Amino acid sequence: MKTRAAARLGVPLALAGIVVVAGVFIPGFMSRANLTTILLHVSINGILALGSIFVIITAGIDLSVGSVVGLAGVLAAAALTSGAVLRLVGPTGAAMVAALVGLGTGALVGLVNGSIVARLGVAPFIVTLAMMTAARGAARLVTGGVPIGFPDPGDPLYGQKIAALDALHAVGGGRIPVPGLPTGFPVPALVMLVLVALGGFVLTRTRFGRHVYAVGGNEEASRLSGVSVGWVKLGVYAIAGASAGLAAVLLVGQLRSGGPDAGMLYELNAIAAAVIGGTSLFGGIGTAWGALTGALLIGVLNNGLDLLGVQSFWQEIAKGVIILLAVLFDVWMKRMDARRWRDRAAGESAGAA
Amino acid sequence: MPDSSASGTPLLAVAGITKRFPGVVALDAVDFAVHAGRVHALVGENGAGKSTLLRIVAGADRPDAGALAVDGRPVSFTAPRDALRLGLTVIYQELSLVPALGAGANIFLGMEPTRHGLLDLGTEAARAADVLRTLGADFDPATPARDLSVAEQQLVEIARALARDTRLIALDEPTAALSHLETERLFTQIGELTKRGIGVVFVSHRLEEVRRIADEITVLRDGRRVFTGPAAAVDDITLIRHMVGRDIEYARVPPAVAAPGPPFLEARGLTRRRAFTDVSLVLRRGEIVGLAGLVGAGRTDVARCIAGADLLDEGSMLLSGAPYRPVSPREAIGRRVVYLPEDRKTQGLVLGLSVRENVTLPTLARFARWGVVRGARERTAAARQVAAVELRPPDIEREAGTLSGGNQQKLVLAKWLLADADVLLFDEPTRGVDIATKTELHRVIRSLADAGKAVLVISSELPEILALADRIVVMREGRVSGELTAAEATAERVLALALPASHTAA
Repeated sequence: MKTRAAARLGVPLALAGIVVVAGVFIPGFMSRANLTTILLHVSINGILALGSIFVIITAGIDLSVGSVVGLAGVLAAAALTSGAVLRLVGPTGAAMVAALVGLGTGALVGLVNGSIVARLGVAPFIVTLAMMTAARGAARLVTGGVPIGFPDPGDPLYGQKIAALDALHAVGGGRIPVPGLPTGFPVPALVMLVLVALGGFVLTRTRFGRHVYAVGGNEEASRLSGVSVGWVKLGVYAIAGASAGLAAVLLVGQLRSGGPDAGMLYELNAIAAAVIGGTSLFGGIGTAWGALTGALLIGVLNNGLDLLGVQSFWQEIAKGVIILLAVLFDVWMKRMDARRWRDRAAGESAGAA
Repeated sequence: MPDSSASGTPLLAVAGITKRFPGVVALDAVDFAVHAGRVHALVGENGAGKSTLLRIVAGADRPDAGALAVDGRPVSFTAPRDALRLGLTVIYQELSLVPALGAGANIFLGMEPTRHGLLDLGTEAARAADVLRTLGADFDPATPARDLSVAEQQLVEIARALARDTRLIALDEPTAALSHLETERLFTQIGELTKRGIGVVFVSHRLEEVRRIADEITVLRDGRRVFTGPAAAVDDITLIRHMVGRDIEYARVPPAVAAPGPPFLEARGLTRRRAFTDVSLVLRRGEIVGLAGLVGAGRTDVARCIAGADLLDEGSMLLSGAPYRPVSPREAIGRRVVYLPEDRKTQGLVLGLSVRENVTLPTLARFARWGVVRGARERTAAARQVAAVELRPPDIEREAGTLSGGNQQKLVLAKWLLADADVLLFDEPTRGVDIATKTELHRVIRSLADAGKAVLVISSELPEILALADRIVVMREGRVSGELTAAEATAERVLALALPASHTAA
């Protein structure tokens, strides 16, 4: 099954272990405020990881999500602070338009990736590598290399633009008041949790989700079973693109600006979270829950090491080690699985003979 | 052949080798011996155990029982390396060259000549040219393997074996992809090998070739050795009888109704380039049509085209009187035409998904509303199908990859029974499953026809075709060579139509 015991339990157990150890030894780690901060920091990567697992489960890969965060972010920021948009729909309307532009840009780029992979049969690694470069270039071209956002004090629309940035900030940097939590609950973290639940539902309860696993598990058998392999691929790249677009909108809201270099290397963090969460790069295996736990594991680790005052360079090394351990664990589980099947099959054939 | 005696200690002796795979005994106490400087042919239908035997000789598989001896001394292999060290080389049908490397580099792969720790390219090129010349090769040793023809690549593999001072070369169906001329040259080269005292195992199902170069012949069937003897002392008819196993006969499962209906699927002049030409056939409701022929006759290609898995170049089809020309399996399934592929693991099932998820894969829309799968309905349907085909264990949440071969085949069947098709195309439905399961599957296939389905069964196993089919269409080299009713059909008549013309005279 796609939810092997390893994927179901290994990472959550490791996560729980790290949380307990950090809680005991690091003062302040277990405070509600800190746990909320972790969730906020994890949310962008969590959303990207969730989008990425759809692609990875079909045995594909999307290297373009980081660049799409950049491109969708600058286009959303441009829409948000555009005079024409502001005059037409006002600051709140502009925030909605910006969100749609960001999401739409991401989905569109994903559709392009998906069509090239599905219709032309080019390797996903190549297609999305090309898109990663092209989208980053487009983001820099649109902005001339500088972030879009905070207006000039002399701008005639200064007040309007500030209001629009604030409107989007209510989403990207907003907090929902929760009793007992003085800082409130961050909106992006809520978005991530809702999306993980939704993603899990789509993967396990819908036809589309079933087909995602089937295509990743055995593309030819799926095709012979009448699965529209091309549409499934188109769908997963569109989902990965759209989640990058959404992450971009949250990021622009949070920072009150869209920079052309935003999202650099985010694709690798997302893939790392997916892999740590038990997603197999060979396809057919992975869960939304796994993507979340993978992202959380990275986040908790970063946060704990931060609180301990460990240099960020060491944190990177730690993350590398964790990725390797997660994959080794996966390989080891697979070997155990194979041994168990073989023993069982041998027993059965001996019984039949 | 110079010396016709096979006396003395054999170069390689295999005794009582048994190999089991889940659900099937691939080799059952097989004996086999090869002498230096002689050609021993190994013949048999697909699934007879030839390839398994070669893999054991090569050290790629380990036998469950039995012994191997080289020069009379017992040996055991844990890896292919061990067999190579003793001079046993197996050249598989899927050649194992590195495409981007030159012929010479391929020949010395893993034992490259070096000088001061660096590759000695001069020596390598000279020695490669030498060994290729002794085999009569006329291509440049620097040519990348991917630019060589299949015959030339084979030659590189043989050259590699010679460069390792091999003592035995086993060739698995070496002529399957060769032209007539290339085959002739291969035979000359095999002659050169035997002159050097190398023992040769030649695997083929082309009797004409076997006859020409073999000193001894062994026939395998269903994992058992059924015949061994000098090639000169046995005629083709006897060999064929041994191969197809006249003594195994499945109980014929007769149809419930005597007369099938009018044509349901009519195919006229179907052609797919490089696969089959001008194939016409008719399927009727209530009738099982057997599609017989040797491997490579184009039977699978025909079925795949009818099922939309491959595209036709020419020809037309009518389904229930309406034009039919599917461009995808999806379209064919929509028209209630389904194909059950031969290779369960790569085409029939998604091994990582559960039994339930496999069963409902083609029909999931039926158990979904607004794209959301309704779990209870899906589980009920899967459980019903699993019970109908008597899957063991009847556990719908079990991973498909953990089932035995016979049960995987039942699972494929369960999945397509649920699709409630009108036309079912079975490709080797009982390949690699045990006899009891075979009989069960035969009954299920017959009951489908009795329920009014139009059924086509491709099988390389003659007794199966004879037991099951109401009408037999025989293909030979991409064309229909004849058609027989169940009453007319005998193993000899089907074989006469299936074998290339030169065999029937012998």
